[in-house]
Amino acid sequence: MSDIEDMLSVPEPKVDTERALARLRARVEAERIAPVTHGASAPRRIAVNIWMKGLAAAATVALVVTLLSVSGLAETILTIFEPKQLVAVPITASDLSGASSIATYGTLTWTEQPKPYDVPDRSTAARDSGMAVLTPSELPAGVGAPHYGVMPKTTATFTFSADKTRQAAAAQKRTPPPMPANIDGSKLFITGGPAVVAYYGDGTSTAGATGATGVTGASPFTGMPRLVIAQGRPPIVQSDGVTVDQLQAYLLAQPGISPQLAAQIRAIKDPSSTLPVPIPIDMATSKKVTVQGVEGIFVGDSTGLGSAVIWQKDGIVYGVAGTLTEQQVLAVANSLR
Amino acid sequence: MEVAERLRLGSSPGPGMPPAFEDLFRREYQRVVAIAHRVVADSDEAEDVAQDVFVSFYRKHPAQAHYAAPWLYAAAAHRALNVLRSRERRGKRDAVEALRRDGLAPDPAQAVETAETAREVRGALARLPDRSAALLALRYSGLSYEEIAAALGLRQSSIGTLLRRAEDAFRKEVTK
Repeated sequence: MSDIEDMLSVPEPKVDTERALARLRARVEAERIAPVTHGASAPRRIAVNIWMKGLAAAATVALVVTLLSVSGLAETILTIFEPKQLVAVPITASDLSGASSIATYGTLTWTEQPKPYDVPDRSTAARDSGMAVLTPSELPAGVGAPHYGVMPKTTATFTFSADKTRQAAAAQKRTPPPMPANIDGSKLFITGGPAVVAYYGDGTSTAGATGATGVTGASPFTGMPRLVIAQGRPPIVQSDGVTVDQLQAYLLAQPGISPQLAAQIRAIKDPSSTLPVPIPIDMATSKKVTVQGVEGIFVGDSTGLGSAVIWQKDGIVYGVAGTLTEQQVLAVANSLR
Repeated sequence: MEVAERLRLGSSPGPGMPPAFEDLFRREYQRVVAIAHRVVADSDEAEDVAQDVFVSFYRKHPAQAHYAAPWLYAAAAHRALNVLRSRERRGKRDAVEALRRDGLAPDPAQAVETAETAREVRGALARLPDRSAALLALRYSGLSYEEIAAALGLRQSSIGTLLRRAEDAFRKEVTK
């Protein structure tokens, strides 16, 4: 027996597989967990889709948080959300599958569509976005050259609609609380970006594969480029006014919002200046880290294949993500100049 | 059995699990628990980890997926390491208590000392980089180089070297 085997030795666990299976069945039924119904051919797509759903949920959560801070001054356009800090909000798969999309509550109309486009180099990205584009002085071995993309400033208007909410609920056979009359027809004005994204592929390939030879679909980062560095102006939301209490009571009581998620959102101390970052807790973990001298959020997926860090500094939100280790991602983030 | 279990648990019969998933569970549960147990050294916690891992897989992946077993092994190691790290953060008392509960020491007089040593070992494991700790957990749970490579998405030819590095790093952490 080697010294390490000796150190890590444990008594053989006594396992009753049938009892364990019964426990799992009970949990699956109690939590109404559905198995995937698609074939084994698309694991990568599944993982990416779940990640994308996370982002969609982030938008919903951000909206909810935003709405909590709306002033009661009706008929006045107010800036109700201008994030200056980030906070991790753990969400579960049932939060993702249960939460209604923003489209359930009304209509989103783009006044300036999000139209990302490629640019040839960093200086063009900086010129088009109007931001100083930071680049890393340190890159892990095997990471290739970057390709830049720019997303111009985007604006949209969201109009709440009680009719639409009723129809969506009927289609899903749900009975949510009715939308209060003063929320029905009220508007939010949303501004996002501009943003710049730098994609780094493998040094040997532009396909942006993970380099992992075995497991696909085991990580939300699978299928991503090796490294992505993004920076952008955070979203700003303005409103023509509804009351905090009514919106909180209405949105957090929706069937898709779990009591845990509602509690997390209520616990945010300054919702008008805090951008919630959704962490899908069944596939990722998060912790606070110091990046570029400020507090950021590190996100690691549960398989250890991918990492990301997000922070906000001087009015710009930065993100570094990739199929890299925590140390590598943080080293890249801290080397941005 | 299934109906009896459901009645006992007071839940109504649903559409049930796909048989392929139950087969996968029966085939891999013991090994998944063993991997988690190697990390957390607490059989109850190891079974909790295994349950979470299977639920996670059930939600997102088809039971027949070719990567099912390696996915489960990797997820067991990483989730168990997360449990270990949060236990370490909670403090020494929790960690010693968990190890004592699992009977790592043969008699009460030795229990505290043995548990303390085991806690230091687990603390060292928790401090290792994720991949190194996962490599050790999988290797010392009896997985082959081929299985480890598939689980962690590494080349089989590099497992030997990575494992040696992980072992060296582990020894250094233990003696710190």
